[in-house]
Amino acid sequence: MNPFYFYTSSTLVELTGEKANTLEELLTLLKECTGSAIFYHVFQSYRERHFAIEKYHSDFAQWISASLDEEPLAERLGALDVRDFTSIRELREAILRIIESHLREHPQCRDRKGKTPFFFCQSVSIIMPTKYIAQDLRDFYQIFGSIGIRSIHYHLVEARLRLGIHTNDFSHWFRTSLNKEKLAKRLEDIDIYLHTLEEIREIILQDVQEEIRT
Amino acid sequence: MSSIRLTDYEPIVGRQTLEELYLLAEGLRGRRIKMVNSTAVGGGVAEILNRLIPLLNDLGISTQWTVIKGGEDFFEVTKTIHNALHGEQISFPSRMKEIFLEVSRENLKYIDLDQDVMVIHDPQPIVYVEAREKTQAKWVWRCHIDISHPDEEVWDFLRGFVEKYDVALFSSPRFSKRLPIPQFLFFPSIDPLSDKNKELEPEFIEQLLERFAISQDKPMITQISRFDRLKDPVGVIKAYRMAKRYVDCQLVLAGGGASDDPEGEAVLNEVRTEADGDSDIHILLLPPTSSLEINALQRASTIILQKSIREGFGLTVSEGMWKKKPVIGSAVGGIPAQIIPNLTGVLVHSVEGTAYQIRYLLSHPEMSKKLGDYGHEYVKERFLITRNLKRYLLLFYVLSHPGERIIHF
Repeated sequence: MNPFYFYTSSTLVELTGEKANTLEELLTLLKECTGSAIFYHVFQSYRERHFAIEKYHSDFAQWISASLDEEPLAERLGALDVRDFTSIRELREAILRIIESHLREHPQCRDRKGKTPFFFCQSVSIIMPTKYIAQDLRDFYQIFGSIGIRSIHYHLVEARLRLGIHTNDFSHWFRTSLNKEKLAKRLEDIDIYLHTLEEIREIILQDVQEEIRT
Repeated sequence: MSSIRLTDYEPIVGRQTLEELYLLAEGLRGRRIKMVNSTAVGGGVAEILNRLIPLLNDLGISTQWTVIKGGEDFFEVTKTIHNALHGEQISFPSRMKEIFLEVSRENLKYIDLDQDVMVIHDPQPIVYVEAREKTQAKWVWRCHIDISHPDEEVWDFLRGFVEKYDVALFSSPRFSKRLPIPQFLFFPSIDPLSDKNKELEPEFIEQLLERFAISQDKPMITQISRFDRLKDPVGVIKAYRMAKRYVDCQLVLAGGGASDDPEGEAVLNEVRTEADGDSDIHILLLPPTSSLEINALQRASTIILQKSIREGFGLTVSEGMWKKKPVIGSAVGGIPAQIIPNLTGVLVHSVEGTAYQIRYLLSHPEMSKKLGDYGHEYVKERFLITRNLKRYLLLFYVLSHPGERIIHF
């Protein structure tokens, strides 16, 4: 059995110097920006606010709602389920399709200036092993209860960039090393947008404890 | 310099945060860093460096601090540059440029460049990068000021130096520029253990309110800022008046900077005229050493305001949020980076909006509490000195891995 090595990831936010004032400009920059910028604005930046769940997890939806007052478009972008995509490329294309379709229906909003610009950022991640290693599910339970929140984010959210957007490191280990398919699936089914990372920690701890009992 | 240790922060930020810092610092032990700025005391940058440098040394990263030396004429030039970067149209004759260059080059003769990283703060020592060929060090320009609408002539002059750096650091995405070098987001930070932010005994707060004749029976709306038109103290009084028609409250306007500043004196007079003898308006002119008093006033407040017309970063917002107060701030400068509307505070755009939000928050204490609690968490995550320390550690790694998006160890 392979042990589970807990890593932690920290990010430095890079400013691209690019900004969009209108939907048209946002569209242009969305086509040109790096995959890292898409990942940052859809997955990472809202995790800085991990103490609360906001109406929209994606920075794009948030800006379109708060700055442009285009609520229907914000809602459509906010409803994108990341589990439907297997890559950042697909996610980018879906975002572009939704905005383009909105602009076809409402061409008058193409050049309307927002209250504040949208600033494109991207991240540089520094990933390091921690001293924590789980040999089995009991070890995992012990460590998971007190590991830093950045570790949970790394294995649960950032893992999607490496493993494909639909899964995570924990599920991968449960499935491939412990042969625990049901537990792996339960973790994949957690709606990462509807819970804070601390809430997710509790959910996972409960699931693992249940599995240990059975 | 402060003798504070990193472990002193554990009760505030938790063991996990410190563990992350120790882990990151392990691979950087022995690095030599030099920070350069223009003053050792006074001002936000010196305040941050006074704490940050001992903490970096505590982590085993040898960090020194040097201050650029210059005469009155040099600092007149740097003040002009500072104002121009803030958007003031100025004249920038070649003599000014000469003084700026000469003083920096003179300073460079005496500086030890045998470092791994040189961190140059703000425009005053920006010319130091001319010496980059003489050292293996990476060069970082940390810009603390808002350069989103600079005087073009001055910015063009400085840009030539900025582009020689390896990276630039800005306090807000709004302040960044299109540059050929990487730029990173470095929020300024507050120190939860400093006199301005540490916990205070209730008795101390009560005594202070008594000293200033501030009632403890009425909600207290407070704006802490120097008496400067850009902080709109007159607009604050107008907003208070509009709100007071519906909810009884008192206003505290506290700050310094008027005694030796003719404009400050004029603004203070305007504020007194606008207050028109209202005994519920407390105008407090505080000396620069009043950190504990400011802390106490913020802690005694029901609502904190920062109704600026223009602002740098506006750390008074984070100070208020750290004390779990609902903050109403203008959507200018770095304030929107601190206030997520209706989650960590309230953003406003006018006197009327400010008045309405005062009324709303005084009538909805549960909402005020929610904003205060979330505000505190947000500051803990983003704007504490420990987070600033972490950003520097990450930066030192990034400088050794230029161009990499994921640095894996």
